[in-house]
Amino acid sequence: MTDAIVMENVVKRFGPTTALDGTNLRVRTGEVHGFLGPNGAGKSTTIRVLLGLLRHDSGTVRLLDADPWKDTVSLHRRLAYVPGDVQLWPNLTGGEIIDVFGRLRGGFSEARKNDMCERFALDPRKKARTYSKGNRQKVALVSALVSDVELFLFDEPTSGLDPLMEAEFQEVVRELTGEGRTVLLSSHILAQVESLADRLSIIRDGQTVESGSLADLRHLSRTAITVTTQHSTVGLAQLPGVHNWTEVEGRSQFEVDGPELDTVLRVLTPLGVLSLVAHPPTLEQLLLRHYSDRVSPETRAATLGNS
Amino acid sequence: MTTVRETRETELAGLPVLLGLMVRRDRFTITAWTIGMGIFALYVVAAIPMAYGENGALGESAGLFADPMSRLLIGPAYGFDDPTFAQFVTNGYGLYFLLLAALMSILSVSRHTRADEQTTRAELLRANVVGRHATLTAAMLLTVIANVAISLAILLITLLVGGYAFNGLALFAVGIGLTGVAFAGVTAITVQLSEYSRGASGLAGMVLGAAFVIRGGGDLAAVGGSTLSWFAPLAWAQQTAPFVLDRWWPLLLPLAFAIVTTMCGFWLSTKRDFGASHFQVKPGAASAPARWGTALGWAWRQQRALIFTWTAALVVGGLAFGAFSEALQDAELPEIFADLFTSDDLLMGYLAYMAKFMPYFVAAFTVMAVQTLRSEETTTRLESILAMPITRHHWLFAQLAVTAVAATAISLVVGWATGVGAAVVVDDWSLVPDIGWATLNYVPAVLVVLGLTTFLFGVMPRLIPLAWLLVGYAVFLGSFGDLLDVPSWVLGISPFAHPAEMPVERFEVMPCLILSLIAVVGIVCGVFGFRRRDVSGG
Repeated sequence: MTDAIVMENVVKRFGPTTALDGTNLRVRTGEVHGFLGPNGAGKSTTIRVLLGLLRHDSGTVRLLDADPWKDTVSLHRRLAYVPGDVQLWPNLTGGEIIDVFGRLRGGFSEARKNDMCERFALDPRKKARTYSKGNRQKVALVSALVSDVELFLFDEPTSGLDPLMEAEFQEVVRELTGEGRTVLLSSHILAQVESLADRLSIIRDGQTVESGSLADLRHLSRTAITVTTQHSTVGLAQLPGVHNWTEVEGRSQFEVDGPELDTVLRVLTPLGVLSLVAHPPTLEQLLLRHYSDRVSPETRAATLGNS
Repeated sequence: MTTVRETRETELAGLPVLLGLMVRRDRFTITAWTIGMGIFALYVVAAIPMAYGENGALGESAGLFADPMSRLLIGPAYGFDDPTFAQFVTNGYGLYFLLLAALMSILSVSRHTRADEQTTRAELLRANVVGRHATLTAAMLLTVIANVAISLAILLITLLVGGYAFNGLALFAVGIGLTGVAFAGVTAITVQLSEYSRGASGLAGMVLGAAFVIRGGGDLAAVGGSTLSWFAPLAWAQQTAPFVLDRWWPLLLPLAFAIVTTMCGFWLSTKRDFGASHFQVKPGAASAPARWGTALGWAWRQQRALIFTWTAALVVGGLAFGAFSEALQDAELPEIFADLFTSDDLLMGYLAYMAKFMPYFVAAFTVMAVQTLRSEETTTRLESILAMPITRHHWLFAQLAVTAVAATAISLVVGWATGVGAAVVVDDWSLVPDIGWATLNYVPAVLVVLGLTTFLFGVMPRLIPLAWLLVGYAVFLGSFGDLLDVPSWVLGISPFAHPAEMPVERFEVMPCLILSLIAVVGIVCGVFGFRRRDVSGG
């Protein structure tokens, strides 16, 4: 078995609305798979289908080589889930909730619980009602991490956590994959996905629009160039493969398709280059390309320029 | 420098907008309550003359309902010797209009204050230009508006359909509205005490329950009530005795009560932080007992607070109702009774009635237990549990098993408590096991309610509140079915109509078996339905 998760043409409707409209997802065993998409794209619905909480209308879903709707119990012994908006029982303490989850899952390590509480700076003696959003999130994270499972389903797991905790989380995920475990990471924190994910899928309006390794996706994309020149670069705007060209007081910004890069640089050199920054597209830019009809050109330009 | 006037304006800043928002949020709720209470009024005004035809027939039956036991359930029974329809409707049914208005008010205040604060919706509101006292003021005003709407609806319907005199009806309608406002005042206090809207409503509900029991004891003792009656806010509106004494002054009591309690509520609200309560929160255990890690153990952990609260409340109620046996024995009987019953028969009839009355509350407990399951689902906490290696039917069966066993235990304990209350005053300890068996005999009927609620949870979870209709139907017909002379099949829809009325009648096994079967079918269908549907929430 090489795929931990396989979804093919999965459709899920809620009355008149179609939440998943032919979603495809393939997560290889042992990888961290980034799962990206704008709000309402169907990320949480996908994870709920994988958990067997929702029944999909058509398509194929295989999770660890089993059917998440039929083999729910045996599957749930092998996975752990962290929702993005954690709701807890207000009259229980964090420690009690971690224990209940751990025992329901079939056992957990007390030592690992203490270790994780310490690493995430969580006070397990406080009642859940007194926890902030970030602390509720920590309870869910710790209770998932104390169990010895093959697969982790993370739905925006670090929302509300501070940067230190975010770093700790990334460290823990690296340990998990080092032990051969699989992680599906739905996230809005692009830096997190960029640094952790081996491969990623982008979902929009219930459809998978892009899937592959970050390198694959970058290959499809453009190089962003910021250059200061003595002479105007206005001629560049006409060249094939140059996009979004702007020039303000001798400082030009544009994107170039990979194959045209050589031509563009040859045109650029005679204009008297004073400084030049070129970088591969960030995940942010990749995403903006996929969401672009929702983003105004100004926002897009601003983001491209600043990144 | 701020003047007093400016301070007041600041504290109430945003009031009109807040009130507008609350009216908008509650437009269906208030309309539904108004229509519902209007239909109730229409029903009693239209049904009584239909059932009794001429005034003479009413006089005979009404005499029956002036006995001490009925007074416990309907009030001081003013003008029941030879009542007109107007007297009978207002004095016979008034208590239930008062109860409903009080309930509506409790839920309304709690929903718009503590429920918002608990979910931090109020935080969003308070971050705007909203004064410290604006929310509670708006919630109180909204509840006053709702009570006015209900009173007007009742007044209009009884006036147009019943055609009774305006003065008496106005007294009746205003009494209902003021009682509602009085309990809104109680809730203004309880929402400061508890951090949870359910806890706040529960506390106010306990005050309502205590008021019902206290005035029950007072009214049972004598026609027109006794001193004890006057200690209960529920009794004041009834003491106006519409169409009999037609006195307005008792209404000053709920008015004053409402003002004082509301003031207390405002004062308490200044003594606490936003989102906090007057109860302290201590650090708890860092780890959980092993038994919580099983479906059954977890179900018990989740339900135990609800179970203990209901047991405590019902045991106190049972002891009180049992103890009223003494007043029942001392009370003078209407002549019509003296011919028919000895005082012993009356006592046993009363206790048999109580053995049927207390299980209504146990049925209400089972509905609330299933509603808690539903709220686990809608708050997405259930999602976390079902992401564990535990099947849905395993989880649901465990929860229902705890509810069913608890319902059985509560029934038995409450029966014993009623028996103890009676045994102490009449010095007959054989009553204790007798009443215990009698309440236990209604457990299958309680389980039918649990079965229906489970069925709704599994198949049509949004319609769970419909289960309250069955409970309300059972209580209403159980209390007034004989009075209204309704056909037996109408009575028979209530599961509580079937078990033998022990200890007066002998135990019958068939009703128990059939009711149990219906309960099991409902539960099984519900569990299967839940297995097949999506888990919603979020």
